[in-house]
Amino acid sequence: MATKRDLRSLSTLLTPSTLFLGVFFLGPLAVMVIFSFLEPGIYGGVVWNFYHWNYGRILGWADGEWEDFDPVYIDIFLRSVRLALTNVGITLLVCYPAALWVSGLSVRWRTFVVFIITLPFFVSLVVRLFCWVLILRPSGFLSTSLMGLGIISEPIDIIYTETAVLIGMAYILLPFMFLPLYASIEKLDHSLLEASADLGANPFQTFWRVILPCTLPGIAAGAVLVFIPSLGNFIVPDLLGGAKVMMIGNLIEQQFLSARNWPFGSALSVMIMLVMFMLIVFYLRRIGRSEIVR
Amino acid sequence: MKHPWLKRLLSLHGFLFLAFVYAPIIIVVVYSFNSHPVNMMVWKDFTFDWYLSIFGNPTKLTEQTLYVESTDQLLSAVKNSLTVALTTTTFATIVGTATALAIYRYHFKLKPFYQGLLYMPMVMPDIVLGIALLVFFINFGVKLGLMSIIIGHCTFLISYVFVVVSARLAGMDSTLEEASADLGANPWATFRRVTFPQILPGIVGGALLAFIISMDDLVITYFIAGVDSTTLPVFIYGMLRRGVKPEINAIATLMLLFSFAIAALGLYFRRRN
Repeated sequence: MATKRDLRSLSTLLTPSTLFLGVFFLGPLAVMVIFSFLEPGIYGGVVWNFYHWNYGRILGWADGEWEDFDPVYIDIFLRSVRLALTNVGITLLVCYPAALWVSGLSVRWRTFVVFIITLPFFVSLVVRLFCWVLILRPSGFLSTSLMGLGIISEPIDIIYTETAVLIGMAYILLPFMFLPLYASIEKLDHSLLEASADLGANPFQTFWRVILPCTLPGIAAGAVLVFIPSLGNFIVPDLLGGAKVMMIGNLIEQQFLSARNWPFGSALSVMIMLVMFMLIVFYLRRIGRSEIVR
Repeated sequence: MKHPWLKRLLSLHGFLFLAFVYAPIIIVVVYSFNSHPVNMMVWKDFTFDWYLSIFGNPTKLTEQTLYVESTDQLLSAVKNSLTVALTTTTFATIVGTATALAIYRYHFKLKPFYQGLLYMPMVMPDIVLGIALLVFFINFGVKLGLMSIIIGHCTFLISYVFVVVSARLAGMDSTLEEASADLGANPWATFRRVTFPQILPGIVGGALLAFIISMDDLVITYFIAGVDSTTLPVFIYGMLRRGVKPEINAIATLMLLFSFAIAALGLYFRRRN
């Protein structure tokens, strides 16, 4: 079926992206993986020797000469996973009822409210986080207004805690949970709900037995889309967590901008990438390809 | 509805949700007009002075508390951001659209591979892509600067344009193209007269999305921007790291207005079609 002319126009259309993504997307990822197996140079840079202790330093083996195993890295990694999972839980709990609410509105209102909800997320990330810095600082909006109302007598210090990091992360990642949830709730077959009610189920039974199982693909998609950017985030812990709440993203940033240990930083990045790949593969196997495209 | 209280509870949650989304933004906008020079969050008077001072105009407030770093730096960051965003948008829109046409129109063996490749940059955590690009540029001696930022942004923006244009192509009526071919139009004429006008809204939408993401990108730019090619988000991030200043309120408000304007433009184009 493919004529010569078809083949020519196909290759004309595909060549630019093939070349560009091949060189500037796959290329950098390959260099990063290679770097993660090289010896760190003393003053930054790399020495071209095979060197697996970059991973050993994180996972528990070391040569004892240049690199020492330090459980602190595993701790940071596990903390990042824990915070990312907590964030998935928070966004799910906040967005699910909201998505239910929106899907119950009339069609005109629905489009409008979805637009209103997604609008702020076109605003720069740094601006949205700045808002929370202003609110959560000891001299910030929350403290000042609570003191003004006489509810507290001393400024409360929320910023630079895990709570602050979780608030900030949930805030910037809300739409990644809301939109897939809303898409799957909207697709829900309403005759199923009526059938459930007719057969005598109360609203909670209908929710547990019908609505929740039917929207599981949306929940899974939202969870993956929130978990991945949460895990490697370094802007939120940097601005709202300070030095106390260090996540793997901050560790990576340090390796490149102050510690100058590129192979170690690359190894940490490769680990995030592996976690991401495992999640995506698991997701595609279990839920199917169609959902991620939305 | 048999359970009105349940519905009311859901509505209440919905309004709280909207409040959670909008309150932080509204607070920043309101307090950007606050003239209190010491504590930004204690309301004193209404003033435009922070806006004047970010553009380098002397004001009563900034005489007392000389805050703003350098208007020149800010303006050059804005200029860099616009340069990068306009260049990447143009490039990513053309390449992304071409790719979408190829993937949608033709059946070939490597199609699943290409689809996977095109979705990858969107799910790749920012920090991983940023680090990878950094070590790549340094390893091959590419000077970090506007060019490296433009290349970096294109790696993921092509994918966004591809997704938006693909969605439009999927919703297109393919019989029109067949009719055009049957009536004797050559493939180029069919594309220009039939396909292109139909997918134009998708292309415009993809371009606007690419523009807004490029203007907003912080993490990847942070790693691959050279010393003297800061973009606006990186500049503000740097300012924030050194301490919160009232001028940032004003800059943030202006950026908000700008983003809302672009989003409104996108909505307008979608509505019109």
